[in-house]
Amino acid sequence: MSLIINGAEYELASPPLTSLLNVLREEVGLLSPKAGCQQGGCGTCTVLIDGEPRRACLTPLGAIEGAAITTVEGLGDPRNLSPVQAAFHEHYAAQCGFCTPGMMMAATGLLARRPDATRDDVLEALAGHFCRCTGYVKIVDAVLSAAAGRVDTTRPEPEAEPGEPSVVIPGSPA
Amino acid sequence: MKAVGARLPRYDGLQHVTGQSVYVDDVRVPDMLWAKALRSTVHSAEIKKLDVSKALRVPGVHAVVTHEDVPVNIVGHLAALGVPADEPLLAEHEVRYQGQPIAVVAAETEEIAQEAVNAIEISYEEREPFLDIRKAFDPDVPKVSPSGNLFVYEPYTERRVRKGDIDWAFEKADRIVQGVYRPAAIEHCPTETQVALVVPEATGRLVIYSCTQAMYFSMGVVATHLGVSLNDLKFVGGTVGGGFGGKVDTAAETISALLAIKAKRPVKWRWTREEEFLCSSVRATWHVEIADAVTKDGWILGRRTLTLHDAGAYTRFSSYGATKHAFHLGGAYTIPNLSFNAYVIWSNHVPTTAMRGFGVTSVSFAVELHMTRIATVLGIDPWELRLKNASRVGDTAPTRVVLKDPSAVPTIQAAAQAAGVELASEYRAMTNAPRKGKTLPRHLVDQLGAWRDNGGR
Amino acid sequence: MSVAPLAEPEVLVPASEEEAIAAFGDGTGVTVLGGGTILMPELAAGRLKPEKTILLARAGLDEWRDEGGTTRIGAAVSVGALVDAPEPLASAARHVADYEVRSQGTLGGNLCAGPGRGFPRGDLQAPLIALDAYVRSAGAGGERTEPVERFLSTSPGNRLVVQVEFETRDRLGGWAALERPHAHSYTALSVAATISPSGSDLRVACSGAGPYAVRLRSVEQGGLDGDPGEALRDVHLTDDALASAWYRERMLPVLVGRVLSQLKEAG
Repeated sequence: MSLIINGAEYELASPPLTSLLNVLREEVGLLSPKAGCQQGGCGTCTVLIDGEPRRACLTPLGAIEGAAITTVEGLGDPRNLSPVQAAFHEHYAAQCGFCTPGMMMAATGLLARRPDATRDDVLEALAGHFCRCTGYVKIVDAVLSAAAGRVDTTRPEPEAEPGEPSVVIPGSPA
Repeated sequence: MKAVGARLPRYDGLQHVTGQSVYVDDVRVPDMLWAKALRSTVHSAEIKKLDVSKALRVPGVHAVVTHEDVPVNIVGHLAALGVPADEPLLAEHEVRYQGQPIAVVAAETEEIAQEAVNAIEISYEEREPFLDIRKAFDPDVPKVSPSGNLFVYEPYTERRVRKGDIDWAFEKADRIVQGVYRPAAIEHCPTETQVALVVPEATGRLVIYSCTQAMYFSMGVVATHLGVSLNDLKFVGGTVGGGFGGKVDTAAETISALLAIKAKRPVKWRWTREEEFLCSSVRATWHVEIADAVTKDGWILGRRTLTLHDAGAYTRFSSYGATKHAFHLGGAYTIPNLSFNAYVIWSNHVPTTAMRGFGVTSVSFAVELHMTRIATVLGIDPWELRLKNASRVGDTAPTRVVLKDPSAVPTIQAAAQAAGVELASEYRAMTNAPRKGKTLPRHLVDQLGAWRDNGGR
Repeated sequence: MSVAPLAEPEVLVPASEEEAIAAFGDGTGVTVLGGGTILMPELAAGRLKPEKTILLARAGLDEWRDEGGTTRIGAAVSVGALVDAPEPLASAARHVADYEVRSQGTLGGNLCAGPGRGFPRGDLQAPLIALDAYVRSAGAGGERTEPVERFLSTSPGNRLVVQVEFETRDRLGGWAALERPHAHSYTALSVAATISPSGSDLRVACSGAGPYAVRLRSVEQGGLDGDPGEALRDVHLTDDALASAWYRERMLPVLVGRVLSQLKEAG
């Protein structure tokens, strides 16, 4: 079995009924998709399969021979964020961070098929993704701001509101 | 104060959005084994037979642990507060809730570990379970513990709060308004289930990757069970995939550590979503009865309450939660005469634990519904009833703490504004300034006078 | 201690419809995996250890053709794709899970998976009955094509669903369901109906009242102005994890009434 994962080709030894989630985490070592429920219910394992968001835990390896897989690791790195990543960072859309990979992949898939997504589109696309921390508002705002192109992917720092003090605190981990 | 009001990036924001945050399940070590647990399938039973020999013979199994392997099996989560230890890490002669861990296996894969768990022979003699805390005082109900179903707050069987003269309040009252409020259990449902990874080092020290919300607390629990000192443990934590109180319990660390010691290999125990729902602790069910002595113009003279808190099968933090609950039963309001009784009841449900606002959300639920009920009974605007009785500077809390800066008045005013409610001008102008003159009702004059006469006690 | 290799189960990935039918044989000991939404959680939990599995992903069963007045939809077409199907199939498809799970679940799985543990599944069954759809399936005794209603009454779990077909007619469709508490809940009760533009040939069915969808003939006989409560004659309601029989008994006439109103307004 082979897959193209984040642009690189992999020959895989996992048996064909192994879930893509376990292939990615346990064989390939890509750890952004999480095992939140392993029954399709939480959405934190969502990856792109040939550009479409899909639950990795519901997908057996044997059904996707040769497919192109994209995970968060394939979206961007801290110096080169994708618009969705930058928007999640700017809008504080990640709190504990555990649902964030699936949320971002679902959002990336949505904006690929519907670049001018409305709030209703975002709610529909994320309806099956669970976040127990944020209450979803910041997540939805982040996706909408990415849809509108209102993110600066070259400056991965939240932008100050006009009039806000701009501060650097000595010793701050930020 | 330059940080207040400023927009600061989250310290972990960039690693969250790039998938680089390392949760316990993401830690990779060589030669790691997977754990699976045999859990009780019944609410309450004597264990008649437990034989793990067939599990040990399953190829790929490296360790099986039962209560006999635990140096100190029965430990209390609140030992530091003097609460008696009552909960076994692994069941001994009995099980008290469905999902209680009895034996655990470490094997090469999760699949093999599960196969070995299935090979463990166990038989139960089932007992009638006790599941309805409202029946705790009935003489014939099944006993959860040999001492009965009531946690004992020495010297009482309940947490008591007493203030003022409750009998005077109920004699003076124009109306008695009663209500029963029963907030139900809630599963925390963190997206990351309970998980631990324990790596034994050559020196004997254990490296424990933990999803705990309470690092030093969990270190104490693990060290107590293992009978080791804290410097034998190296805890690695701080990246938690959601907890909300449920990860204050030390759920997976100790058992993983025992398996790692026995197998001499790293062991990971990752609960399934079903285990998280069925076996992990939850926010408790509460039963709150309130009777308020009120005047027809809307003053609350006195409040009597009875609370039953469903601790589940073991105490964990329940005695603390019910204490906190009892202290807050006045809500955001000043009531001069109080009598609160809060009982912690053991049942054959899963043990309950902290969850956001532990003990106090049940108060808010009950008290705020009750305030609206009083307003309805008296025919008074519910906003005005709340503002009238809202705590002010100089008022005393149920615990007789003098309030220096209570926020009830501005909070209720802000809520009214957000809800588009037009308050009467006297309530719009109200502040939390000390009551005086017209704003000081007769019963509080009496109350404050007595308090001052007592030298502020 | 050495680790004995676990016996590798047989997994077949047929490359055509013919290969899939041949691999399925009479269905004995065969597990068919279409979209995976039902089976993968069972595999992950260790509750299912199939000896022989057929993955339908590459069997060419995902074709959707409209030819000679007949719509033919392959068993592996996703529920998500059916949001473009004729009503009431489209509305029912939109009401299944969320975008991703709906894109993974299949038409065939919806017909043959049967009820879950303590709740009904098969949201598409009622719309298909309302559309007078036929199922082509393979298995013991060879291939056969039969009305969805009959297929559901004869152990659908033992058959390999190959295709669903119905006449491409200009019919009016109506659909109503109980709202789900969240995207991943199964629908506790739904009603689907179609009628010809001239107002004849009313067909009504419901999903969620029993393990498989049921045709509501008493409602059909009453016509658009009939008593929606007649629906209760055609169903045997039970309690399950999603809803009580008591609740369904009260809600079924309400949903039937809504669907009949939709058809009246459309016509």
